[in-house]
Amino acid sequence: MNGHETAVWQALWVWTPFLLGGFAVNILIAVNAMVIGTFLGWGLAVLRLSVKPRVVRLSLLITAFTRNIPTIVFQFYLVFMLPSEFKLPGTSITVGFPGWLIASMALAIAVVGFTSDNLTKALRDWRQGDHSVAFLFIPSWTSYMLIIVIASSTASIIGVSELVSRCNTVVNATGRTSLMLPVYLYACALFFLFCYPLTQLMRKVHTRLAAGMQTS
Amino acid sequence: MKASWSQWVVALCIVCLQGVHAGEVVAKPSERLALIKQRGALIVGVKTDYAPFGTLNSAGQPEGLEHDLAADVARRLGVSLTKVSVTGANRLQRLEEGVVDVVIATTGDTVERRKIATMVEPNYYASGVTLFMRPDQSIADWAATRGQKICATQGSYFNRAMAERFLLDLQMFNNARDAKLAVKDRRCVGYLFDNTAIQGDLLLPEWAGYKAPLPPQLVTPWAVAISRREQGTELEYFLGDTLAEWHRTGFLVERERAWRLPPSQFLADMRTLWTSLGSDGKPVCVRDAEGRWPAACRNRIFLNSTDASGLRRLGLWWKEQTGMDLSFVYDSYDRSRFLLGLATTVLLMVLCVLGSIVVGVAGALVVEARIPVLTRVARWFCNIGRMTPPLLVIYVFVFGLSSALMHTVGVAVEPMVVVVLCLSVYTGSSVMVSFLEATKVVRASEPGYRLRLLTFKQILPLASPSATAALINVSKATMMASAVAVPELLSVVTSIMAENGNVAVMMNTLLLTFFVLIFFTTRLLDWVDRMLRGGMP
Repeated sequence: MNGHETAVWQALWVWTPFLLGGFAVNILIAVNAMVIGTFLGWGLAVLRLSVKPRVVRLSLLITAFTRNIPTIVFQFYLVFMLPSEFKLPGTSITVGFPGWLIASMALAIAVVGFTSDNLTKALRDWRQGDHSVAFLFIPSWTSYMLIIVIASSTASIIGVSELVSRCNTVVNATGRTSLMLPVYLYACALFFLFCYPLTQLMRKVHTRLAAGMQTS
Repeated sequence: MKASWSQWVVALCIVCLQGVHAGEVVAKPSERLALIKQRGALIVGVKTDYAPFGTLNSAGQPEGLEHDLAADVARRLGVSLTKVSVTGANRLQRLEEGVVDVVIATTGDTVERRKIATMVEPNYYASGVTLFMRPDQSIADWAATRGQKICATQGSYFNRAMAERFLLDLQMFNNARDAKLAVKDRRCVGYLFDNTAIQGDLLLPEWAGYKAPLPPQLVTPWAVAISRREQGTELEYFLGDTLAEWHRTGFLVERERAWRLPPSQFLADMRTLWTSLGSDGKPVCVRDAEGRWPAACRNRIFLNSTDASGLRRLGLWWKEQTGMDLSFVYDSYDRSRFLLGLATTVLLMVLCVLGSIVVGVAGALVVEARIPVLTRVARWFCNIGRMTPPLLVIYVFVFGLSSALMHTVGVAVEPMVVVVLCLSVYTGSSVMVSFLEATKVVRASEPGYRLRLLTFKQILPLASPSATAALINVSKATMMASAVAVPELLSVVTSIMAENGNVAVMMNTLLLTFFVLIFFTTRLLDWVDRMLRGGMP
């Protein structure tokens, strides 16, 4: 190992807490997006199982709408269109929308579509008594969350201080362009090490549940 | 009968008079011009605190670019020049009081100021807002400043607009000195300030190596100002013609160079405009019968619907009525940018969808071919492709590897190609997984089944829903290209928005455009899917 490589490893080590903090923001954004999106998507799924055809049609229309809006565009839409600050009615407290919340709301739109489609099926199975089939929703939901974790990296485009954005900060702060490639690869590795094992686990759970269904 | 005869004569006379006057400008006589000639001196209000436009030299003598302009005006009038030092606060007041004849003192031309003074067109210079940055700063465009810490001085009129249009995280300082030191200490990415002032700083030895490469934003043109009462007089026309000639002959560009200012885009564009010839071989910028410059030669921020014609007139009228600025429809420059962005996005979508299909099909075939090493490699490729953010991989190639490639092979990496490759691998991996899953299901009922190009149709009904979903996703993800400065729709829309301030209009347009694009992509993919399945034996 030559001097240059040692310097690179040292720099990565020094900046690791900062970068991990950024990755925590990615996970926070993804979890929030899942919570918001699942809640709204669940509402749409319930409406889709309604006996009134008009309600079903409305729900399908909204679901189709959420599918047609790219999350990156929606992110820009929210960040520019929401007021940067507003007063809570009746008080003198001003509140703003932090970037991570905007990113969560934007990514939630994809989760709404996903939940609406998948939960409709799960709820239908549940009502028909196929409880174990309905449980398949859980591993697919978790796998989808990992997709959202990866998608949360686009929040850097609107300046949210998550992992990708912090990589750029590190390169700028050290003023060393030679650090660019190692830092980006390091961040890639973080994403992979988080997402790959969980995806494999969820696949196993899915297979186990599906196998359990056939035997029962 | 008599009455109608006299009416005819009057009408004929009017026609004759118009005929005589066409092509020759009728200007009101100017009281001020008469006074200047009578006294034999032109009194110009200039600055002495704004280097290099107006300053005091080491001998205490006033000089500067604007002083040169004043001297040239006096020379053309054949009178001597008297300079009066004015400040930003009193320059227009001095004009109103009649103390000075003309003001050439870094006066920004705005709609408000046009109510209290006559701003002579064309404008002679322009200033905007830029970023003063450290020598090692790698930020190359405004989009890269989103969310970054930027130093600014309290009370600058542009702080709020810049923060809103570029999502800057502004760190406020009391004065320019502190803000610049904060840049030096790496406490912020750059200092947001007027570009002409920053250009002055960059000439100082203290800031050697510092730079301000970002194109100025919120550009305000500078105008030669005369009294409000002199509007439409010989004096205004004389100054306007002089300014036009300065642009045509390159006098302004030459003075800019002489004062060691970096070449401004504004002067270069103006020179091109004022020397351009129409399809009939005549200069585009000549005064019309009423003495006005044509709309094409005027600054579009001062145009209203009565000045323009055709589509632009309709667009400006709509803007005046509703406040909605649809510049991407009526303004030819914005329109061509918008259409180019749209075309780039459509091209990106097509290439990414095709690329993903190729990667997916090829990957699935390799895995199924069960070639010892290659199958393993393909599986890992697929895993890594799916589990790393495409944006990060794009950065790895565009920023990390491009410099290495440039040094070793001398090849520059085209960002658009990188985006298509990275997104194709990311989505192709998902497509590949859906093919392999479907193969597994088919094999459960038909143990001997192997995926080959010829047996592909068998898995299509099972694989196509998830594969189609992935392909729709990749067409949505093409906007990532804006992060590496590919001029696709998102980056075009944000730059049109930053220049015109029509945030709501552009954001709604963007959302609607994508809605329609994705709608048609979905329809198209469904149709292809049906065709493929319909062709099944």
